[in-house]
Amino acid sequence: MNDTATASPASPATDPVLVEVMGAALSSLVEEMGETLVRAAYSSNIKERRDCTAGLFDAEGHMLAQAEQASPIHLGSLIGVVAAVLERFPVEDIRPGDTFLSNDPYSGGGSHLPDMVLVTPVFADGRLTAWAANLAHHADFGDRGHAHIFQEGIRIPPVRFAREGEIVDDVFQLVLTNCQVPAERRADFRAQLAANRLAVARYGELVARHGRETMLATAAALLDYTERRTRAAIADVPDGTYEFTDRFDCPELEETELELRVRITVAGDELHFDFAGNPGQVRASVNMVRTALHATVYYAVKTLVDPDIPSNAGLHRPIRIDAPLGTIVNCQEPAAVNGRTETCQRVVDLVHGALAPAVPGRVTAAANGANTGVHFSGYDRAKGRYFVYLETIGGGSGARAGKDGLDGVQVHVTNTSNLPVEALETEYPLVVEAYELVPDSGGPGRTRGGMGIRRTVRVEGTSPGADDGKADGTGAEEDEGVQFWLDTSRLRSRPWGLFGGLPGSSARVELSEGARPVVRGHTVLRPGDRVSVVTAGAGGYGDPAEREPDRIAQDVREGVTSPDEARRAYGTHAPGTDG
Amino acid sequence: MTLRIGVDTGGTFTDVVAFDEETGALHVRKVSSTPDDPGLAIVEGLERILEQIGGRTPADVGYFAHGTTVGTNALLTRRGARTGVVTTRGFRDLLELGRGRRPRLYDLQADKPAPFAPRDLRLEVTERVRHDGSIETPLDEDEARAAARTLREAGVEAVAVCLLYSFLRPEHEQRIGEILAEELPGAHISLSSRVLPEFREYERLSTVVTNAYVGPVVAEYLAKLRQRLAERGLRAVPHVTQSNGGIIPFEAAEELPVRMVLSGPSTGVVGAAAICAAAGHPDIITFDMGGTSSDVSLVQGGVPKVTTGMELDGRPVRTPMLDIHTVGAGGGSLARVDAGGHLKVGPASAGADPGPACYGKGSEATVTDADVVLHTLNPAYLLDGRMPVDEQASRAAVARIAERVGLGVEECAHGILRVVTANMARAIRVISVQRGYDPRDYTLVPFGGAGPLHASQLARELGMRTVLVPPTPGAQSALGLLMTDVRADFSRTRIQRVDGERAATAARLGALWAELEQEADAWFDAERIPEADRASERTAELRYAGQNYEIPVPVPGGPLDAAALDTLLETFAAEHRRLYGYDAPGEPVEAVTVRLQAVGSVPQARLPRQEAAGEDASASLTGTREMHLAGEGFVPVPVHRRDALRPGNRVTGPAVIEQMDTTTVLLPGDELTVDAHSNLVITVGD
Repeated sequence: MNDTATASPASPATDPVLVEVMGAALSSLVEEMGETLVRAAYSSNIKERRDCTAGLFDAEGHMLAQAEQASPIHLGSLIGVVAAVLERFPVEDIRPGDTFLSNDPYSGGGSHLPDMVLVTPVFADGRLTAWAANLAHHADFGDRGHAHIFQEGIRIPPVRFAREGEIVDDVFQLVLTNCQVPAERRADFRAQLAANRLAVARYGELVARHGRETMLATAAALLDYTERRTRAAIADVPDGTYEFTDRFDCPELEETELELRVRITVAGDELHFDFAGNPGQVRASVNMVRTALHATVYYAVKTLVDPDIPSNAGLHRPIRIDAPLGTIVNCQEPAAVNGRTETCQRVVDLVHGALAPAVPGRVTAAANGANTGVHFSGYDRAKGRYFVYLETIGGGSGARAGKDGLDGVQVHVTNTSNLPVEALETEYPLVVEAYELVPDSGGPGRTRGGMGIRRTVRVEGTSPGADDGKADGTGAEEDEGVQFWLDTSRLRSRPWGLFGGLPGSSARVELSEGARPVVRGHTVLRPGDRVSVVTAGAGGYGDPAEREPDRIAQDVREGVTSPDEARRAYGTHAPGTDG
Repeated sequence: MTLRIGVDTGGTFTDVVAFDEETGALHVRKVSSTPDDPGLAIVEGLERILEQIGGRTPADVGYFAHGTTVGTNALLTRRGARTGVVTTRGFRDLLELGRGRRPRLYDLQADKPAPFAPRDLRLEVTERVRHDGSIETPLDEDEARAAARTLREAGVEAVAVCLLYSFLRPEHEQRIGEILAEELPGAHISLSSRVLPEFREYERLSTVVTNAYVGPVVAEYLAKLRQRLAERGLRAVPHVTQSNGGIIPFEAAEELPVRMVLSGPSTGVVGAAAICAAAGHPDIITFDMGGTSSDVSLVQGGVPKVTTGMELDGRPVRTPMLDIHTVGAGGGSLARVDAGGHLKVGPASAGADPGPACYGKGSEATVTDADVVLHTLNPAYLLDGRMPVDEQASRAAVARIAERVGLGVEECAHGILRVVTANMARAIRVISVQRGYDPRDYTLVPFGGAGPLHASQLARELGMRTVLVPPTPGAQSALGLLMTDVRADFSRTRIQRVDGERAATAARLGALWAELEQEADAWFDAERIPEADRASERTAELRYAGQNYEIPVPVPGGPLDAAALDTLLETFAAEHRRLYGYDAPGEPVEAVTVRLQAVGSVPQARLPRQEAAGEDASASLTGTREMHLAGEGFVPVPVHRRDALRPGNRVTGPAVIEQMDTTTVLLPGDELTVDAHSNLVITVGD
């Protein structure tokens, strides 16, 4: 620190200026980790879609800072990882240069198997002082079943991935052998290692400047500070008990609909979330492990009480979460979890719905209610290699008290980027024919819900001919085809509106003529087949009769609302729609 | 024709700098800006500086360059043209969908930037090119014509055309351009294959729409200004700055206005690079601190670092530009205490109105008020006495914050400066540490009204040993206009392996650059730049096959042969190691985009060199003032007048150097020497 400009008699722990300065330094550190990961990675899911995050933890595993590029659900794979490592490895056996790998939700602190976490101890003055961790969603494990977790990919409990700076090759080879696109995996792991190495170096520079004791004291003070801010913000929410229920569906559950619920108690500066009464875990991928539930609730709280609260463990202290083990929101082994975000998105909706009477100005109506994932995998003949392409498609974001919802965006627990068409088509044997907003999908209201998205993808090449579709039992047709898997929700219900606002439209899948139907989220597409995934719109907010006529006219002019829909939803309130 | 003039329009002042080629003298003049009609202040500034020099007329001006934010302002205030868009069928909403992310992770009240073209003016045409450049579906010309007529009836003033893969196969865009020109005579038409022939469709679309949106506004502004200057007797061809730090004639800027929308801070950097290279400091980090924000950038070997784009107000703009990072930390940045009891500074700013408490209109504490409390700023007046300062107002504002964080008033003022310094240091780390450069190897070059005031403390925060304050920190951008070149950028995206057989690869890449060189030659001819003044700089953007971020690698001059290619690949590997800590020998390497920057050199202004006058700086001493030093309290420190300091003079900190538009603070241990060009070179104390 600049000794000519510091006069504060306060100790590091209580000097608010030093703690603020240190907070900025740690944020810089994790942002730089995240950027390194994105820039050095090979797989499009990381390099273009930024499906990754980075964080710094104290020696016990409390989060000190998380990179803002992240999808909030990634926190669910980070908050448990240090504890999982420490459970298996005695501290005295952990050396500088070691790095641990894990992805398992039941033994490794993970939240689903593609999210590979690398965690590296950071030493100062010869003692374990912090942990750097980063997570990358490795878009591998294509074309898997999801009856239970053993079908979903390789499970990795915390294992030593690097020992004193050298990769443990036996482990690396074991992991790569279980991956479908090992070349990408190898390069992505290398980028992950580079990110943690950078964190160790940067932390070392901070220690050299401030000393270990000051680093520890300010880190503790940073968490206390966040806790104070969180408590102050919760105290502004009226005390009471608030409940909400919602209907949940997904392709894997076919006709079955589940009822999800939450009961929230606000008491002074603390929050209690009770998830009693939720359905038991299901034989499908949409189960959430405990850390995923926690990450989801922390996200929802942050959006409702103060979006600028730093992302660290201080935020978690005034929040208590109870969920019965073995339910869809707190599953146990061997429940499958790959599509957990479908459920996570709905937990956020539940929290907003429940707290709507308490903080009506901050909640949003239901968002599109899904993290719509489309997975294409198969053999690319032209390139002579197997490919796995994952994309998540956004949808409507819920209408707000004073503003329409955002059209066609990633909502709540995810915030990944799409893959540019010009990058996608160069890499995979697919053609994107449309990427567009869906008219009449946003729920009407005083403010309108956001619009859903239609994304139409065609498999490259032409259909083999008249005798296609007749499986001859040789499997040749399967080789020719592209495996298509769909994760989504809101196929059977519509995102709800608030305070008189109407629901948004449902999600759906449209196939070109002759293509095989999607069953339990899966089909095989042949060359020339076309699939359109249409994501849900979002709910409206307030009575549609109160919508400003100018806004209705603008929506009609821009083709956001059709004249028919304007007449139906807004009645005589729609000027220029009589013809 | 012996005068060279640079005019930079700022929010408050229009700065004019003139370099007299006959005498080598440099003249500086500030006039109040006229935001409603910026040309008024420009013409007034021109006349004032001619008066100041004496005996010259506009006809004696051989060079006239102008820096303006008129394009940027049109974007930020959404006062561009009524704009239509034509896209490939299925993609009219791409402008709104963008990369699919919401603007803020947790703040659900945040909005996406409203598109510059409304949905009903975004039209689709049937056509499709594939990723290999083949045409899958030919252009439906009837649809294109119908779209053009729809846009005409809607009264659009500008149209942007962006089709998939037009960077590979521009014919469909070109044909649509012709149809638009027939149907909408007089409208500004921007083709993405012309504005940005590079891959990634959303970024290209956003850039070409931005170009169309500001096109008519910029064209009108420049045409009016050109006429006005001509009426005053200016004969020189007026030039305007671009985001790449170079200048181009007004006419050229009218076609590609997007290339000037981030030009505001660029010439300040170019000027600093030139001044510092001449002063023997080729590696610098510039720090331009104004009222609401600070711009920082890195210069290595006298050459500013460039980047291929950034976001403006949430919209990507991809054009070659100086890598300047902006942070919301300025003299007017507001201090506050948040709900957790922490002291925060910025990014909210008191701006010029109401401004810091000390100027009498505002009541909230700002960075400037902290400086007034500590007397690092003159607590009585600024701007040579033209601006009175109310010290008690500053103390009262800072005291309100101090009470809430439990600190004394001066301690709190130091706290405000430490927090804002940390924010600025973070910005410098983005352009240095995060790009693999160690700031301790660089000289910090502060300018802007508030830069020299905070530079010494910022240098300490970053471990930097040297600070260089240029002669006219308050008019640095205008001065930079006289120290730059005419520059234009050309590029091609052709994704290809470059680690294979050397001769064939060199031939392929060489052919691409040959195309670009042809374009550059045509441009040189159009600009009437003599052969002798022509130069070009080649860059290849490379990556390991599979990555998606490219690393720009300079390509040395001369023929591109196998040896040159080896060097290129070695440089790439070294850059990869510097940036990411490793390289991947043996893995395939791809070129993505190749670039050529054409440089037409123009005579440069040079700072006058003066005879050394010895170490004794007492002639510049105007007195002392009580300045508050952390841990010591108020102590008397000497105050010097900048314009009375002479080369060779030395001053030891703590001390204050005052000049009309800025104050330089030396902290204890700092050692200042005035160099031969009147720069203040400060060795930072421990």
